Amino acid sequence: MNPEVPTPVQDLGRELEFYRREYNDLGARVLRLQEEQSRAFREARRSRTVARLIREAYKLVDRTSSIDEVGALMLKIVVDNTICDRAAILKRAPDRERFIVTHTLGFGEEDPPDELVLPSPPSFYYTTSATRMEEPPARDLVRILRLPYLLWAFETESEYALIIGNRSEGNVNRPFEAGDRELIEGALSVYVDIVYRKRTEEDLRAAKREAESARAAQAAFLASLSHDLRTPLNAIIGFSEVIRDQLLGPDTQEKYREYATHIHESGTHLLSLINDILDLSKLEKQGSIPLQEEPFEIADVVHQALKDALPAAQEKGIAVEVSVPDQMPLLLADPRRIRQVIANLLSNATKFTPSGGKVALHTFVDDGRGLVIEVSDTGIGMASDDIPKALAPFGQIQNVYSRQHKGTGLGLPICKALVELHGGSLAIRSAPDQGTTVTIRLPASRLIEAAETGDPGSVL
Amino acid sequence: MVRVGFSRNVDSGTAAKECARPIREAGQATWAIAFCGGKHNHEAFLRGLRDELGDIPVVGGSAAGTITRAGTGYGGFETAVAGFLDPKDRPRIIATGRLATSEWDAGLELGEAVRKDAAEESTVLLFYSSVAATAPVRLHPGSPLVGGFYHGLGDRNLTLVGAGTLTDMNLSGSWLFDGTGLAAHSAVAVVMPPHLHAETAVLHGCVPVSSFMEITRIEGAEVYELDGRPAVQVLEEMLGVNLTSGQAQSPSLIATLGEKHGDRFGPYHEDAYVNRLILSANASTGSITLFEPDFKPGTIVQIMSRDNALMIESVRKGTAEIMRRTANRASKIALYIDCAGRASARSGAPVEEADVMLESFRSDVPLIGFYSGVEIAPINGQSRPLDWTAVLTVLYSEG
Repeated sequence: MNPEVPTPVQDLGRELEFYRREYNDLGARVLRLQEEQSRAFREARRSRTVARLIREAYKLVDRTSSIDEVGALMLKIVVDNTICDRAAILKRAPDRERFIVTHTLGFGEEDPPDELVLPSPPSFYYTTSATRMEEPPARDLVRILRLPYLLWAFETESEYALIIGNRSEGNVNRPFEAGDRELIEGALSVYVDIVYRKRTEEDLRAAKREAESARAAQAAFLASLSHDLRTPLNAIIGFSEVIRDQLLGPDTQEKYREYATHIHESGTHLLSLINDILDLSKLEKQGSIPLQEEPFEIADVVHQALKDALPAAQEKGIAVEVSVPDQMPLLLADPRRIRQVIANLLSNATKFTPSGGKVALHTFVDDGRGLVIEVSDTGIGMASDDIPKALAPFGQIQNVYSRQHKGTGLGLPICKALVELHGGSLAIRSAPDQGTTVTIRLPASRLIEAAETGDPGSVL
Repeated sequence: MVRVGFSRNVDSGTAAKECARPIREAGQATWAIAFCGGKHNHEAFLRGLRDELGDIPVVGGSAAGTITRAGTGYGGFETAVAGFLDPKDRPRIIATGRLATSEWDAGLELGEAVRKDAAEESTVLLFYSSVAATAPVRLHPGSPLVGGFYHGLGDRNLTLVGAGTLTDMNLSGSWLFDGTGLAAHSAVAVVMPPHLHAETAVLHGCVPVSSFMEITRIEGAEVYELDGRPAVQVLEEMLGVNLTSGQAQSPSLIATLGEKHGDRFGPYHEDAYVNRLILSANASTGSITLFEPDFKPGTIVQIMSRDNALMIESVRKGTAEIMRRTANRASKIALYIDCAGRASARSGAPVEEADVMLESFRSDVPLIGFYSGVEIAPINGQSRPLDWTAVLTVLYSEG
């Protein structure tokens, strides 16, 4: 037998080996192609996931009624689409040192964290087994979900953050990677967009409610105003007719004088009412009324205002305490308007304080921060919710109690506007049955040392 | 009559209530099959279900996802319940907690109990909790459980269909509803009454991509050598990737080992193969860990590629086949047990094969399905645990 010529069996063996090798090579290629295809499909799936997540999330605009509900449903959509173990939405706290956890999903019976101290949001947006977990900020970040493998996005403008996490690195099919940024940032931006939309919707609803309330208040004001105008006019017309026609006969001078007094009082009240309305109208329409500013003694104006208010207080048996320190600087302001404000506050305090109560007026210079005029009483007070109403034009008109008292209810809004015209502020502290304190602050730039009057003024 | 409810509510009690609603509206359920997404509190879910349906036996357990006509998904909050209203359909339920000590003994206990009660040619549903430990992941193998079951069953002939339950696709845990409550490391056999029979189709999707290889060294589920070479090396050469690097994809996503039954050199037929997923590849030992320990030294295997197109095709063909076989039957319910690895997120398939099944299958039969860890179905006349398959079973009544 020639050793160089293979036998048919040897040929068959070599042929079998050839086919086996080729089959394995082809098989390996098929396997790799299959794997490439799967990888491509998984990549395509990620894009589809982003698109689906965004599509589903935007439906929340119509399906939710509150911002809180948006957060809960958003996380449900995120978890459903990313198949992650846990997810949370965070909002950076105003102190910028912490993040408040607003919504969580996937914690089961475990209590999720309320907040996380994280002064600077991390620059990375995912963790893998290669991340140094023992060092901040990764160490801090994993505390939110208490899971090691995270995908995170933070939006600097809205200061919202979205984080998802997994127990195992290769969750479902692979670790987090750079390509996932689109997903997490996309989800966060949709969430922020919906939150802003919802907030705008809520603001619009509130504005609508406010406008409707203002319209109702205005209607009530007009009704009340016509009543307030008619009452003194009726008195004027009625009493003047009695006098003109001498209906009580010629010899009742005393009675006619009394009626003339009523006519005068009604005319004066009417004038005051019309002045208030004119002031308010100017402030409402023009935003301003001209101030005639000059330096004056604060004590003088306080005492003039007191003179207006004292008779009513004495009549009701209310003690009035006034304190204006000596050596007060001059006030550069419109004295007529400041007197109007103080008189109005004293009048209100007297009006809403029962007999035997006390009204106090204190004036002092708050070191470097200007002049403070404080009017307090031991009267009926009001709930904190009613304070903005009392300060709003027409607002007090709706207050049932105030309608039991004389006045248009325009005093406080006018006072506030006048103080603000002087660059100051008017604040109210009050509680039902605890009395009320109105604090006026006028800026330090309006205070001039008495000795330097005529000079440009030394500002305290 | 059977009614199926579905929910994806994140609150476990509310999810139970939503699942129970269509059942309660139809009448009083006598027992139920329930599957509950892994992110839920399973105890609260079961409690919620009992609040709605009464103190009835509930079997099933955790699921990586659920499949119903009302909804399908694997986000972790999906739940599904099938309520059986006809008292005649109430099964005998046998549970064991011996899985933790010995899967074989657990199977043996169930098999012996079933042998005493079950009529010839009965149908038995077998559910068990798949995950034995999580760090590192260790599964309760299904093959000794099923082996023990058949041993205990003796010569009785019946149809066995079932699954290992999972809480998610990452094998993080598993729970079982065993007919009386919630259990771990347990198995439950649901022996259907004699008038209920089953038709089953096993849907595959793997093709061989290598010549035959012999397992030359194996210990349990740990395959050390193929044709005398380290198993990891053989696979890496085929795949062209490093399987043991931390960043590598899970090997279970890439390939399986398949054993061909029947004529080894006969034409390819998907039903001839039993595939084993690869749980992990180990650099230090050069070995690969399979999901099941049923291969032995000398077992001839092929490396199999998961083929998504073939998977979809198999679903279409298998669904059509089972519809043909049950066309004139009074079908009660269809049960779809779907390997979690076949879900699009994991397999990379362009469509969900569960959706393909739902579109293809007849809509007048109630259907409940879930994503499982291991499927149990008949291959060549006897059931065994399967990997990367879907098992579509239709229960129908006769007489």
